[in-house]
Amino acid sequence: MQIDLQHRPSAAMAHVVLASGESLMAESGAMVGMTPNVAIQTGSGGLMKGLKRLFGGESFFRNTFTAEGGTPGELYLAATLPGDLVVLDVGPRGYFLQSHAYVASSTAVDVDTRVGGFKTFFAGEGLFVLKTRGQGQLIAGAFGAIEEVQVRGEYIVDTGHLVAWEDSLQFRIAKAADGWIASWLSGEGLVCHFSGNGTLWMQTRNPSEYGQQLGRRLPPRES
Amino acid sequence: MQTEVLQQPDFSMVKVTFARPGEALVATAGTMVSRDTSVQMKTGLRGGLLASAKRKLLGGESLFLNTFTATLPGESVYLAPAAEGDVAEFNVRPGESLMIHSGAFLASESTVKLDTRWGGAKGFFGAGMFLLKAEGEGKVMVSSYGALHPVDIRGAGFICDNENIVAFTDGLEYQVRRIGGMKSLLLSGEGLVCHFQGRGRLWMQTRNPSRFAAWVHPFRRVRSRSSGGD
Repeated sequence: MQIDLQHRPSAAMAHVVLASGESLMAESGAMVGMTPNVAIQTGSGGLMKGLKRLFGGESFFRNTFTAEGGTPGELYLAATLPGDLVVLDVGPRGYFLQSHAYVASSTAVDVDTRVGGFKTFFAGEGLFVLKTRGQGQLIAGAFGAIEEVQVRGEYIVDTGHLVAWEDSLQFRIAKAADGWIASWLSGEGLVCHFSGNGTLWMQTRNPSEYGQQLGRRLPPRES
Repeated sequence: MQTEVLQQPDFSMVKVTFARPGEALVATAGTMVSRDTSVQMKTGLRGGLLASAKRKLLGGESLFLNTFTATLPGESVYLAPAAEGDVAEFNVRPGESLMIHSGAFLASESTVKLDTRWGGAKGFFGAGMFLLKAEGEGKVMVSSYGALHPVDIRGAGFICDNENIVAFTDGLEYQVRRIGGMKSLLLSGEGLVCHFQGRGRLWMQTRNPSRFAAWVHPFRRVRSRSSGGD
Protein backbone atom coordinates (compact mmCIF):
# COMPACT_ATOMS: atom_id res chain seq x y z
CA MET A 1 0.00 0.00 0.00
CA GLN A 2 1.39 3.34 -1.03
CA ILE A 3 0.00 6.46 0.58
CA ASP A 4 0.72 9.90 -0.78
CA LEU A 5 -0.66 12.98 0.97
CA GLN A 6 -1.65 15.82 -1.36
CA HIS A 7 -2.91 19.39 -0.96
CA ARG A 8 -1.42 19.69 2.49
CA PRO A 9 -1.93 21.27 4.87
CA SER A 10 -5.35 22.94 4.66
CA ALA A 11 -7.20 20.71 2.22
CA ALA A 12 -5.23 17.47 2.59
CA MET A 13 -6.30 14.37 0.72
CA ALA A 14 -4.70 10.92 0.72
CA HIS A 15 -3.99 9.12 -2.54
CA VAL A 16 -3.74 5.40 -1.81
CA VAL A 17 -2.50 2.78 -4.26
CA LEU A 18 -3.67 -0.69 -3.25
CA ALA A 19 -1.81 -3.70 -4.64
CA SER A 20 -4.04 -6.33 -6.21
CA GLY A 21 -6.02 -8.03 -3.44
CA GLU A 22 -4.96 -5.50 -0.82
CA SER A 23 -7.60 -3.94 1.42
CA LEU A 24 -8.05 -0.75 3.37
CA MET A 25 -10.64 0.11 6.01
CA ALA A 26 -11.95 3.69 6.02
CA GLU A 27 -14.26 5.87 8.05
CA SER A 28 -17.75 6.17 6.61
CA GLY A 29 -17.92 8.94 4.00
CA ALA A 30 -14.15 9.35 3.57
CA MET A 31 -14.03 8.17 -0.05
CA VAL A 32 -13.63 11.01 -2.55
CA GLY A 33 -12.92 8.94 -5.65
CA MET A 34 -11.52 5.61 -6.79
CA THR A 35 -10.79 3.41 -9.77
CA PRO A 36 -13.66 1.06 -10.70
CA ASN A 37 -11.69 -2.09 -9.80
CA VAL A 38 -11.89 -1.15 -6.12
CA ALA A 39 -14.75 -2.99 -4.41
CA ILE A 40 -16.48 -1.49 -1.40
CA GLN A 41 -17.91 -3.55 1.41
CA THR A 42 -19.80 -2.07 4.33
CA GLY A 43 -19.69 -3.74 7.72
CA SER A 44 -19.35 -3.18 11.42
CA GLY A 45 -16.68 -5.84 12.02
CA GLY A 46 -18.95 -7.32 14.68
CA LEU A 47 -21.84 -5.83 16.63
CA MET A 48 -19.77 -4.98 19.71
CA LYS A 49 -17.06 -3.23 17.71
CA GLY A 50 -19.71 -1.26 15.87
CA LEU A 51 -21.50 -0.28 19.06
CA LYS A 52 -18.29 0.77 20.72
CA ARG A 53 -17.48 2.97 17.76
CA LEU A 54 -20.97 4.44 17.79
CA PHE A 55 -20.56 5.18 21.48
CA GLY A 56 -17.27 6.88 20.75
CA GLY A 57 -18.90 9.25 18.29
CA GLU A 58 -17.73 7.45 15.18
CA SER A 59 -19.94 5.68 12.71
CA PHE A 60 -21.28 2.20 13.39
CA PHE A 61 -20.23 1.04 9.97
CA ARG A 62 -16.92 1.23 8.25
CA ASN A 63 -16.11 0.56 4.66
CA THR A 64 -13.53 -1.87 3.39
CA PHE A 65 -12.04 -1.10 0.00
CA THR A 66 -10.32 -3.94 -1.89
CA ALA A 67 -8.42 -3.84 -5.21
CA GLU A 68 -9.87 -6.58 -7.37
CA GLY A 69 -9.36 -8.01 -10.83
CA GLY A 70 -5.61 -8.62 -10.56
CA THR A 71 -4.65 -4.97 -10.95
CA PRO A 72 -3.68 -2.26 -8.47
CA GLY A 73 -6.47 0.03 -7.34
CA GLU A 74 -6.40 3.73 -6.57
CA LEU A 75 -8.39 5.45 -3.89
CA TYR A 76 -8.67 9.07 -2.72
CA LEU A 77 -9.66 9.72 0.89
CA ALA A 78 -10.34 12.92 2.83
CA ALA A 79 -11.61 14.01 6.22
CA THR A 80 -14.64 16.23 6.84
CA LEU A 81 -13.04 19.33 8.31
CA PRO A 82 -10.36 21.52 6.77
CA GLY A 83 -6.92 20.41 7.82
CA ASP A 84 -3.95 18.15 7.49
CA LEU A 85 -3.43 14.39 7.48
CA VAL A 86 -0.65 12.25 8.94
CA VAL A 87 0.38 8.68 8.07
CA LEU A 88 1.45 6.48 10.99
CA ASP A 89 3.44 3.28 10.53
CA VAL A 90 1.88 0.77 12.88
CA GLY A 91 4.03 -2.22 13.83
CA PRO A 92 7.36 -0.83 14.94
CA ARG A 93 5.22 0.89 17.55
CA GLY A 94 1.58 1.13 18.44
CA TYR A 95 -0.50 4.30 18.66
CA PHE A 96 -3.46 5.76 20.42
CA LEU A 97 -5.78 8.00 18.45
CA GLN A 98 -8.43 10.44 19.55
CA SER A 99 -11.41 8.63 17.99
CA HIS A 100 -12.53 11.42 15.62
CA ALA A 101 -9.07 11.56 14.06
CA TYR A 102 -9.43 8.17 12.40
CA VAL A 103 -9.60 8.28 8.59
CA ALA A 104 -8.36 4.91 7.32
CA SER A 105 -6.03 1.98 8.00
CA SER A 106 -4.67 -1.20 6.41
CA THR A 107 -6.89 -4.16 7.27
CA ALA A 108 -3.86 -5.76 8.98
CA VAL A 109 -4.09 -3.01 11.59
CA ASP A 110 -6.57 -3.77 14.33
CA VAL A 111 -8.20 -0.62 15.68
CA ASP A 112 -9.98 -1.03 18.99
CA THR A 113 -12.17 1.59 20.72
CA ARG A 114 -11.53 2.26 24.40
CA VAL A 115 -12.71 4.72 26.96
CA GLY A 116 -9.87 6.85 28.23
CA GLY A 117 -10.44 8.03 31.78
CA PHE A 118 -13.30 5.97 33.11
CA LYS A 119 -14.13 8.35 35.98
CA THR A 120 -14.31 11.45 33.83
CA PHE A 121 -16.48 9.59 31.38
CA PHE A 122 -19.19 9.03 33.96
CA ALA A 123 -18.81 12.60 35.14
CA GLY A 124 -20.28 13.68 31.84
CA GLU A 125 -17.44 13.93 29.39
CA GLY A 126 -15.31 11.13 28.16
CA LEU A 127 -12.54 10.68 25.75
CA PHE A 128 -12.74 7.78 23.41
CA VAL A 129 -9.43 6.59 22.18
CA LEU A 130 -8.50 4.06 19.56
CA LYS A 131 -5.66 1.66 20.15
CA THR A 132 -3.82 0.14 17.22
CA ARG A 133 -2.38 -3.35 17.05
CA GLY A 134 -0.90 -5.34 14.19
CA GLN A 135 1.16 -4.06 11.33
CA GLY A 136 0.46 -1.64 8.54
CA GLN A 137 -0.38 1.99 7.95
CA LEU A 138 -2.96 4.30 9.41
CA ILE A 139 -4.14 7.72 8.22
CA ALA A 140 -5.20 10.23 10.87
CA GLY A 141 -6.87 13.54 10.13
CA ALA A 142 -6.62 16.84 11.97
CA PHE A 143 -8.75 19.95 12.20
CA GLY A 144 -6.24 22.62 11.24
CA ALA A 145 -2.51 22.00 11.08
CA ILE A 146 -0.61 19.24 12.85
CA GLU A 147 2.05 20.07 15.43
CA GLU A 148 4.37 17.25 16.46
CA VAL A 149 5.62 17.25 20.06
CA GLN A 150 8.39 15.09 21.54
CA VAL A 151 7.43 14.31 25.11
CA ARG A 152 10.27 13.72 27.55
CA GLY A 153 8.89 13.39 31.04
CA GLU A 154 5.50 14.97 31.48
CA TYR A 155 3.15 16.99 29.29
CA ILE A 156 -0.46 18.21 29.25
CA VAL A 157 -2.68 18.54 26.14
CA ASP A 158 -6.32 19.64 25.86
CA THR A 159 -8.27 16.57 24.73
CA GLY A 160 -9.88 18.58 21.91
CA HIS A 161 -6.47 19.20 20.38
CA LEU A 162 -5.28 15.60 20.42
CA VAL A 163 -4.76 13.66 17.21
CA ALA A 164 -2.56 10.68 18.12
CA TRP A 165 0.31 9.57 20.34
CA GLU A 166 2.75 6.71 20.58
CA ASP A 167 1.77 3.97 22.99
CA SER A 168 5.11 4.32 24.78
CA LEU A 169 3.44 7.28 26.51
CA GLN A 170 1.34 6.75 29.61
CA PHE A 171 -1.75 8.92 29.75
CA ARG A 172 -4.63 9.79 32.00
CA ILE A 173 -7.58 12.11 31.46
CA ALA A 174 -8.19 14.79 34.05
CA LYS A 175 -9.97 18.08 34.63
CA ALA A 176 -8.06 21.10 33.35
CA ALA A 177 -8.22 22.93 36.69
CA ASP A 178 -8.47 21.72 40.26
CA GLY A 179 -12.21 21.92 40.81
CA TRP A 180 -14.97 21.08 38.38
CA ILE A 181 -16.32 24.63 38.40
CA ALA A 182 -12.91 26.19 37.85
CA SER A 183 -12.28 23.64 35.17
CA TRP A 184 -15.52 24.48 33.43
CA LEU A 185 -14.96 28.23 33.73
CA SER A 186 -11.46 27.97 32.37
CA GLY A 187 -12.98 26.77 29.10
CA GLU A 188 -10.45 24.02 28.91
CA GLY A 189 -12.64 21.12 30.01
CA LEU A 190 -10.59 17.97 29.96
CA VAL A 191 -6.91 17.53 29.47
CA CYS A 192 -4.72 14.53 28.91
CA HIS A 193 -1.70 14.11 31.18
CA PHE A 194 1.13 12.32 29.44
CA SER A 195 4.23 10.82 30.97
CA GLY A 196 7.17 8.95 29.54
CA ASN A 197 9.00 9.35 26.27
CA GLY A 198 7.36 9.46 22.88
CA THR A 199 5.85 11.54 20.10
CA LEU A 200 2.41 13.07 20.06
CA TRP A 201 0.53 14.92 17.35
CA MET A 202 -1.73 17.85 18.15
CA GLN A 203 -4.25 19.64 15.94
CA THR A 204 -4.18 23.42 15.95
CA ARG A 205 -7.99 23.72 16.09
CA ASN A 206 -10.48 22.11 18.46
CA PRO A 207 -13.47 20.63 16.57
CA SER A 208 -15.98 20.77 19.43
CA GLU A 209 -15.12 24.40 20.22
CA TYR A 210 -15.77 25.26 16.59
CA GLY A 211 -18.95 23.19 16.51
CA GLN A 212 -20.28 24.90 19.62
CA GLN A 213 -19.53 28.35 18.22
CA LEU A 214 -21.44 27.50 15.06
CA GLY A 215 -24.20 25.61 16.82
CA ARG A 216 -25.33 28.41 19.07
CA ARG A 217 -25.64 30.73 16.07
CA LEU A 218 -27.86 28.29 14.19
CA PRO A 219 -31.61 27.93 14.67
CA PRO A 220 -32.55 25.09 17.03
CA ARG A 221 -33.19 21.72 15.49
CA GLU A 222 -36.02 19.33 16.18
CA SER A 223 -34.79 16.60 18.50
CA MET B 1 -11.22 40.04 -20.91
CA GLN B 2 -8.30 39.01 -18.71
CA THR B 3 -8.62 36.85 -15.65
CA GLU B 4 -6.21 36.28 -12.81
CA VAL B 5 -6.76 33.89 -9.92
CA LEU B 6 -5.30 35.40 -6.75
CA GLN B 7 -4.53 34.13 -3.24
CA GLN B 8 -4.44 30.46 -4.20
CA PRO B 9 -5.13 27.87 -2.96
CA ASP B 10 -7.05 28.17 0.32
CA PHE B 11 -8.94 31.43 -0.18
CA SER B 12 -8.77 32.04 -3.91
CA MET B 13 -10.36 35.03 -5.56
CA VAL B 14 -10.50 35.97 -9.23
CA LYS B 15 -9.87 39.36 -10.77
CA VAL B 16 -11.52 39.91 -14.12
CA THR B 17 -10.25 42.87 -16.15
CA PHE B 18 -12.26 43.99 -19.15
CA ALA B 19 -10.41 44.91 -22.34
CA ARG B 20 -13.23 46.70 -24.15
CA PRO B 21 -16.49 48.41 -23.34
CA GLY B 22 -19.41 46.07 -23.87
CA GLU B 23 -17.59 42.98 -22.65
CA ALA B 24 -19.71 41.14 -20.13
CA LEU B 25 -19.25 38.56 -17.41
CA VAL B 26 -22.01 36.46 -15.89
CA ALA B 27 -21.52 35.45 -12.24
CA THR B 28 -23.43 33.55 -9.59
CA ALA B 29 -25.33 35.98 -7.33
CA GLY B 30 -23.46 36.88 -4.17
CA THR B 31 -19.97 36.26 -5.51
CA MET B 32 -18.95 39.87 -6.22
CA VAL B 33 -16.28 41.18 -3.86
CA SER B 34 -15.72 44.60 -5.43
CA ARG B 35 -15.80 46.41 -8.75
CA ASP B 36 -14.83 49.64 -10.42
CA THR B 37 -17.70 52.10 -10.60
CA SER B 38 -17.70 52.06 -14.40
CA VAL B 39 -18.57 48.36 -14.38
CA GLN B 40 -22.33 48.08 -14.56
CA MET B 41 -24.08 45.33 -12.68
CA LYS B 42 -27.43 44.00 -13.77
CA THR B 43 -29.27 41.30 -11.90
CA GLY B 44 -31.16 39.14 -14.26
CA LEU B 45 -32.73 35.88 -14.98
CA ARG B 46 -30.22 34.55 -17.42
CA GLY B 47 -31.88 33.15 -20.52
CA GLY B 48 -35.31 34.36 -19.41
CA LEU B 49 -37.64 33.21 -16.69
CA LEU B 50 -38.17 29.67 -17.94
CA ALA B 51 -34.52 28.82 -18.38
CA SER B 52 -33.78 30.31 -14.97
CA ALA B 53 -36.59 28.46 -13.26
CA LYS B 54 -35.34 25.25 -14.82
CA ARG B 55 -31.85 25.95 -13.52
CA LYS B 56 -33.12 26.76 -10.05
CA LEU B 57 -35.40 23.76 -9.88
CA LEU B 58 -33.05 21.30 -11.51
CA GLY B 59 -29.63 22.69 -10.91
CA GLY B 60 -30.00 24.13 -7.46
CA GLU B 61 -27.72 27.05 -8.22
CA SER B 62 -28.85 30.60 -7.73
CA LEU B 63 -31.80 31.70 -9.80
CA PHE B 64 -30.16 35.06 -10.23
CA LEU B 65 -27.03 35.55 -12.16
CA ASN B 66 -25.44 38.98 -12.15
CA THR B 67 -24.12 40.36 -15.39
CA PHE B 68 -21.17 42.73 -15.16
CA THR B 69 -20.68 44.87 -18.23
CA ALA B 70 -17.70 47.11 -18.90
CA THR B 71 -18.21 50.69 -20.02
CA LEU B 72 -14.50 51.61 -19.95
CA PRO B 73 -11.47 49.51 -20.88
CA GLY B 74 -9.10 48.28 -18.18
CA GLU B 75 -11.58 48.26 -15.31
CA SER B 76 -12.20 45.18 -13.27
CA VAL B 77 -14.39 43.14 -10.96
CA TYR B 78 -13.28 40.77 -8.18
CA LEU B 79 -15.26 37.59 -7.50
CA ALA B 80 -15.01 35.00 -4.72
CA PRO B 81 -17.00 31.85 -3.95
CA ALA B 82 -18.69 31.26 -0.58
CA ALA B 83 -16.63 28.40 0.83
CA GLU B 84 -12.90 28.22 1.50
CA GLY B 85 -11.11 26.72 -1.45
CA ASP B 86 -9.65 27.21 -4.88
CA VAL B 87 -10.79 28.78 -8.14
CA ALA B 88 -9.87 27.51 -11.58
CA GLU B 89 -10.33 29.01 -14.99
CA PHE B 90 -11.14 27.15 -18.21
CA ASN B 91 -11.52 28.11 -21.83
CA VAL B 92 -14.36 26.47 -23.65
CA ARG B 93 -14.60 26.51 -27.41
CA PRO B 94 -16.81 24.73 -29.93
CA GLY B 95 -16.25 21.00 -29.51
CA GLU B 96 -14.65 21.50 -26.08
CA SER B 97 -17.49 21.98 -23.65
CA LEU B 98 -17.22 21.65 -19.90
CA MET B 99 -19.66 19.97 -17.52
CA ILE B 100 -19.83 21.76 -14.16
CA HIS B 101 -21.40 20.58 -10.92
CA SER B 102 -24.20 23.07 -10.27
CA GLY B 103 -22.71 24.23 -6.99
CA ALA B 104 -19.24 24.84 -8.43
CA PHE B 105 -20.08 27.43 -11.08
CA LEU B 106 -18.60 30.84 -10.33
CA ALA B 107 -18.69 32.90 -13.52
CA SER B 108 -18.37 32.85 -17.29
CA GLU B 109 -17.94 35.19 -20.19
CA SER B 110 -21.28 36.20 -21.66
CA THR B 111 -20.34 34.43 -24.90
CA VAL B 112 -20.56 31.10 -23.05
CA LYS B 113 -23.92 29.36 -23.07
CA LEU B 114 -25.02 27.59 -19.88
CA ASP B 115 -27.42 24.71 -20.10
CA THR B 116 -28.77 22.65 -17.21
CA ARG B 117 -28.39 18.91 -17.47
CA TRP B 118 -29.70 16.36 -15.07
CA GLY B 119 -27.11 13.73 -14.29
CA GLY B 120 -29.78 11.12 -13.67
CA ALA B 121 -29.82 8.42 -11.06
CA LYS B 122 -29.92 4.69 -11.22
CA GLY B 123 -32.03 2.76 -8.77
CA PHE B 124 -35.03 3.98 -6.89
CA PHE B 125 -33.34 6.84 -5.10
CA GLY B 126 -34.34 9.89 -7.05
CA ALA B 127 -31.58 12.19 -5.95
CA GLY B 128 -29.50 12.73 -9.02
CA MET B 129 -26.80 15.14 -9.84
CA PHE B 130 -27.27 18.45 -11.58
CA LEU B 131 -24.77 19.74 -14.04
CA LEU B 132 -24.32 22.87 -16.06
CA LYS B 133 -23.01 22.40 -19.55
CA ALA B 134 -20.83 25.36 -20.53
CA GLU B 135 -20.51 25.58 -24.29
CA GLY B 136 -19.71 28.14 -26.92
CA GLU B 137 -16.53 30.14 -26.67
CA GLY B 138 -15.03 31.94 -23.74
CA LYS B 139 -13.74 31.73 -20.20
CA VAL B 140 -15.45 29.82 -17.40
CA MET B 141 -14.50 29.95 -13.73
CA VAL B 142 -15.33 27.27 -11.19
CA SER B 143 -14.69 26.98 -7.46
CA SER B 144 -13.88 24.09 -5.15
CA TYR B 145 -14.53 23.41 -1.48
CA GLY B 146 -11.05 22.45 -0.37
CA ALA B 147 -8.38 21.85 -2.99
CA LEU B 148 -9.01 21.23 -6.65
CA HIS B 149 -7.58 17.91 -7.79
CA PRO B 150 -7.42 16.88 -11.48
CA VAL B 151 -7.75 13.22 -12.47
CA ASP B 152 -6.95 12.08 -16.00
CA ILE B 153 -9.42 9.39 -16.91
CA ARG B 154 -8.36 6.68 -19.33
CA GLY B 155 -9.80 3.36 -20.42
CA ALA B 156 -10.42 1.88 -16.96
CA GLY B 157 -12.70 4.72 -15.89
CA PHE B 158 -13.10 6.37 -12.51
CA ILE B 159 -15.66 6.63 -9.71
CA CYS B 160 -16.20 9.90 -7.82
CA ASP B 161 -18.56 10.80 -4.99
CA ASN B 162 -21.19 13.15 -6.48
CA GLU B 163 -20.47 15.75 -3.83
CA ASN B 164 -16.77 15.84 -4.70
CA ILE B 165 -17.28 16.56 -8.41
CA VAL B 166 -16.38 20.07 -9.58
CA ALA B 167 -16.21 19.76 -13.35
CA PHE B 168 -15.25 17.39 -16.17
CA THR B 169 -14.57 17.54 -19.86
CA ASP B 170 -17.62 16.97 -22.01
CA GLY B 171 -16.25 13.91 -23.81
CA LEU B 172 -16.52 11.72 -20.70
CA GLU B 173 -19.47 9.42 -20.34
CA TYR B 174 -20.99 9.51 -16.88
CA GLN B 175 -23.59 7.60 -14.99
CA VAL B 176 -24.86 8.19 -11.47
CA ARG B 177 -24.89 4.98 -9.47
CA ARG B 178 -25.15 3.77 -5.97
CA ILE B 179 -21.98 2.42 -4.50
CA GLY B 180 -21.52 -1.25 -3.64
CA GLY B 181 -24.60 -3.24 -2.67
CA MET B 182 -27.80 -1.96 -1.09
CA LYS B 183 -26.20 -2.19 2.34
CA SER B 184 -23.40 0.09 1.22
CA LEU B 185 -25.83 2.58 -0.27
CA LEU B 186 -27.79 2.90 2.95
CA LEU B 187 -25.04 2.53 5.50
CA SER B 188 -21.67 3.34 3.98
CA GLY B 189 -22.12 7.08 4.21
CA GLU B 190 -20.85 7.34 0.66
CA GLY B 191 -24.17 8.13 -1.00
CA LEU B 192 -24.28 8.30 -4.75
CA VAL B 193 -21.26 8.22 -6.97
CA CYS B 194 -20.64 9.10 -10.55
CA HIS B 195 -19.08 6.46 -12.75
CA PHE B 196 -16.97 7.99 -15.54
CA GLN B 197 -15.86 6.26 -18.69
CA GLY B 198 -13.99 7.27 -21.78
CA ARG B 199 -11.11 9.71 -21.98
CA GLY B 200 -11.00 13.09 -20.41
CA ARG B 201 -10.29 15.00 -17.24
CA LEU B 202 -12.21 15.31 -14.02
CA TRP B 203 -11.60 17.93 -11.32
CA MET B 204 -12.51 16.84 -7.80
CA GLN B 205 -12.75 18.93 -4.64
CA THR B 206 -11.09 17.53 -1.53
CA ARG B 207 -13.92 18.45 0.85
CA ASN B 208 -17.60 17.51 0.76
CA PRO B 209 -20.13 20.23 1.68
CA SER B 210 -22.91 17.83 2.73
CA ARG B 211 -20.54 15.95 4.96
CA PHE B 212 -19.57 19.20 6.67
CA ALA B 213 -23.24 20.18 7.10
CA ALA B 214 -23.92 16.78 8.67
CA TRP B 215 -20.99 17.36 11.01
CA VAL B 216 -22.33 20.75 12.17
CA HIS B 217 -25.93 19.58 12.61
CA PRO B 218 -25.56 17.87 16.04
CA PHE B 219 -24.07 21.07 17.48
CA ARG B 220 -27.34 22.93 16.95
CA ARG B 221 -29.41 23.43 20.08
CA VAL B 222 -32.45 21.21 20.37
CA ARG B 223 -35.78 23.02 20.31
CA SER B 224 -37.45 22.51 23.65
CA ARG B 225 -40.99 21.18 23.40
CA SER B 226 -42.25 22.90 26.55
CA SER B 227 -41.34 26.40 25.36
CA GLY B 228 -44.30 26.43 23.04
CA GLY B 229 -42.24 26.96 19.92
CA ASP B 230 -43.74 25.00 17.09
